[in-house]
Amino acid sequence: MKNKVSKKTRNEWCWGWFMVAPTIVGLVVLNIIPIFQTLYLSFFKSGAFGKGNVFVGLENYKTMIQDEQVWYAVRNTLGYTCLVVPVTIVIALLMAVALNGKLKGKGIYRTIYFIPMVAAPAAVTMVWKWLYNSQYGLINHVLNSLGIEKMNWIDNPKVALISISIIGIWSTIGYSMVLLLAGLQEIPRDYYEASNIDGASKVRQFFSITVPLVSPTLFFVLVTSIITAMQVFDVIYMMIDVTSPAYNSTVSLVYLFYNNSFKYSNKGYGSAIVMLLLLIIMIITVIQTKLQKKWVNYM
Amino acid sequence: MKRKLVSVLLCAAMITTLVSGCGNKNISSDEGTKKAEESGGDVTISYACWDSNQAKLIQTVADEFEEENPNIKIDIQVNGWDDYWTGLEAAATGGSLPDTFWMHSNNIYYYGSNDQLLDLTNYIEKSDQVDLANYPEGLGEIYNIDGKQYAIPKDYDTIALWYNKTLFDEAGLAYPDDTWTWDTLKDAAKKLTKDDKSQYGFCAGLHNQEGYYNFVYQNGGEIITEDKKSGYDNEKTVQGIEEYFSFVKDGLSPEIYDDQARAEAMQNGLCAMGLFGSWNLSGFATTDFMKENFDCAVLPSANDGTRSTIFNGLGNAISATTEHPDEAWKWVEYLSSKEGQERQAELGTAISAYEGTADKFAEAYPMFNTQCYIDMVEYAQIRPYSNQTSVWEDKAYELLKGAYAGKEDTKVACEKTAAMMNEALDAE
Repeated sequence: MKNKVSKKTRNEWCWGWFMVAPTIVGLVVLNIIPIFQTLYLSFFKSGAFGKGNVFVGLENYKTMIQDEQVWYAVRNTLGYTCLVVPVTIVIALLMAVALNGKLKGKGIYRTIYFIPMVAAPAAVTMVWKWLYNSQYGLINHVLNSLGIEKMNWIDNPKVALISISIIGIWSTIGYSMVLLLAGLQEIPRDYYEASNIDGASKVRQFFSITVPLVSPTLFFVLVTSIITAMQVFDVIYMMIDVTSPAYNSTVSLVYLFYNNSFKYSNKGYGSAIVMLLLLIIMIITVIQTKLQKKWVNYM
Repeated sequence: MKRKLVSVLLCAAMITTLVSGCGNKNISSDEGTKKAEESGGDVTISYACWDSNQAKLIQTVADEFEEENPNIKIDIQVNGWDDYWTGLEAAATGGSLPDTFWMHSNNIYYYGSNDQLLDLTNYIEKSDQVDLANYPEGLGEIYNIDGKQYAIPKDYDTIALWYNKTLFDEAGLAYPDDTWTWDTLKDAAKKLTKDDKSQYGFCAGLHNQEGYYNFVYQNGGEIITEDKKSGYDNEKTVQGIEEYFSFVKDGLSPEIYDDQARAEAMQNGLCAMGLFGSWNLSGFATTDFMKENFDCAVLPSANDGTRSTIFNGLGNAISATTEHPDEAWKWVEYLSSKEGQERQAELGTAISAYEGTADKFAEAYPMFNTQCYIDMVEYAQIRPYSNQTSVWEDKAYELLKGAYAGKEDTKVACEKTAAMMNEALDAE
């Protein structure tokens, strides 16, 4: 009985496919096909100008496992993510709650906080690089006048990743905040009114009403922030050159991929590094989707 | 109803203009190519380079060239050094190289041997303006692969010692001259360094061409041997590098890793001396501070009197896939001709490669002792290169920076570099 599909339903299906076609075609052409091409390329030693690739099997992966720089990059990428994501989300959530309340000129604040997201990362980094400049930078100037010794924010291997994370946090807070703000506005006022009558404090309201009810948005923000953070490239590329002593303690997987593929013209090896990144991101995302049942509330 | 009609009409009008607009374009470009075939009509030749200071001056040359050849337009495209090569490789892979562009000894083999460049041998033979005999020996050779000439020398560059006259006067020291040796340099650097680190005697940034390469060759060492093996494990190479790094270890130079920061350290009066290539002149001459306080001199010799400076020259190349090889050649021919080379020297673009035109370059920057760059050619050493120089050259920085910062023994770091470099050379 169910096998028979009415003409109307079939028509609806056709329209459905037609409507999503642009996105699907875009995804396939721009994302899915390149993923498989990269996987394919990672088994080759690439020749000059995309010609004369030689099949080497798992050679690139073998080199990768022995390459300590790759493991530095894994460590740095995870380190950067752990520094940026929690701080961003906590600050963004607090700001979203503040801007969701009755505040004069909150439209202006929302715009201001969102601006870093609109600015080009390269330009943002250039400005920060000047602030961080060890000789003439504003930050060191202020520290100096406070009697604190100057820091080498960019070239000191122990500090550089933190400096980079600060830029990362600064530029992503606004975006996460806007998403969370949208989530907050979905929460019905009634809950707060009811809890007011019950005499709940603001803090109690935040943890018992706001956080659970905004958790679907929070989950989305968490997943996308982690993925974006794992793919960090432009800030590090603009700030740290291969000659910098902080290179090994800041190089991210994408930056390492870029250097190997384009600086050292070894696209096969670069592809292998990207496959490793893909694998790591996939594992993290799978774990997150499994864990979401524990803490995400869908109303 | 009426409103609907108006909007439909408007839409129709817009669509017709759009369509006819496209149509016109097609027709005109068709005509353009036809014209080009018949009489060499309007053709745009792109010219890519990586130095924005020089690009401004070349624009003048291009304007003059366009006046003489009204059917050819020159489109100069500038991209910073690193991005230039990344972009060029991507363009070559996609088959859309600029028509003409700068070539460097680091990359010539990669592009030439992979058929990305137009073989200019026949063009040169037919030309009455370009003869490779008119360029310094060795420069033309860089761009010759198996008897095929893939680029024509554009300029050459050497490295000189720059010093801050004001700081020398303050310290009561005599300015550097050709009697200076490594010892004199170090003594002067010690006297010019202040204990509170507000001023350093020397700027020994981590740099090869404008840095330790010069010391290596002055010491009789080499970066790459004649049979294309690494020279980093050569004892004399290690000594040369050690001497250069010692300025940082002895506190006579700040640790500088960034290319731009080296020039900044000079321009801010942080360092009293530093090594800079002749290509910096056009930039230095635009800063009043540099003009008033700085001058340059030949590089100090090693203590046994051996002199050396790293010498390199760029070339103008034409893409193998260009649609207008004849027009592109005309432009490159003009740039390489005596007239074009003289003009570039006069404007102060770079030290022109054409023999006898270099002196005009010295005249372009009378405020500095520019002549010293040209004098050094006598004993200059061609910048070490192999088929894929950039692969081992940047990796070498990665391996040497530990030793540079004094965290690793220089000899150990050099041995590691040699191993990496030999591996890279074998893979070529």
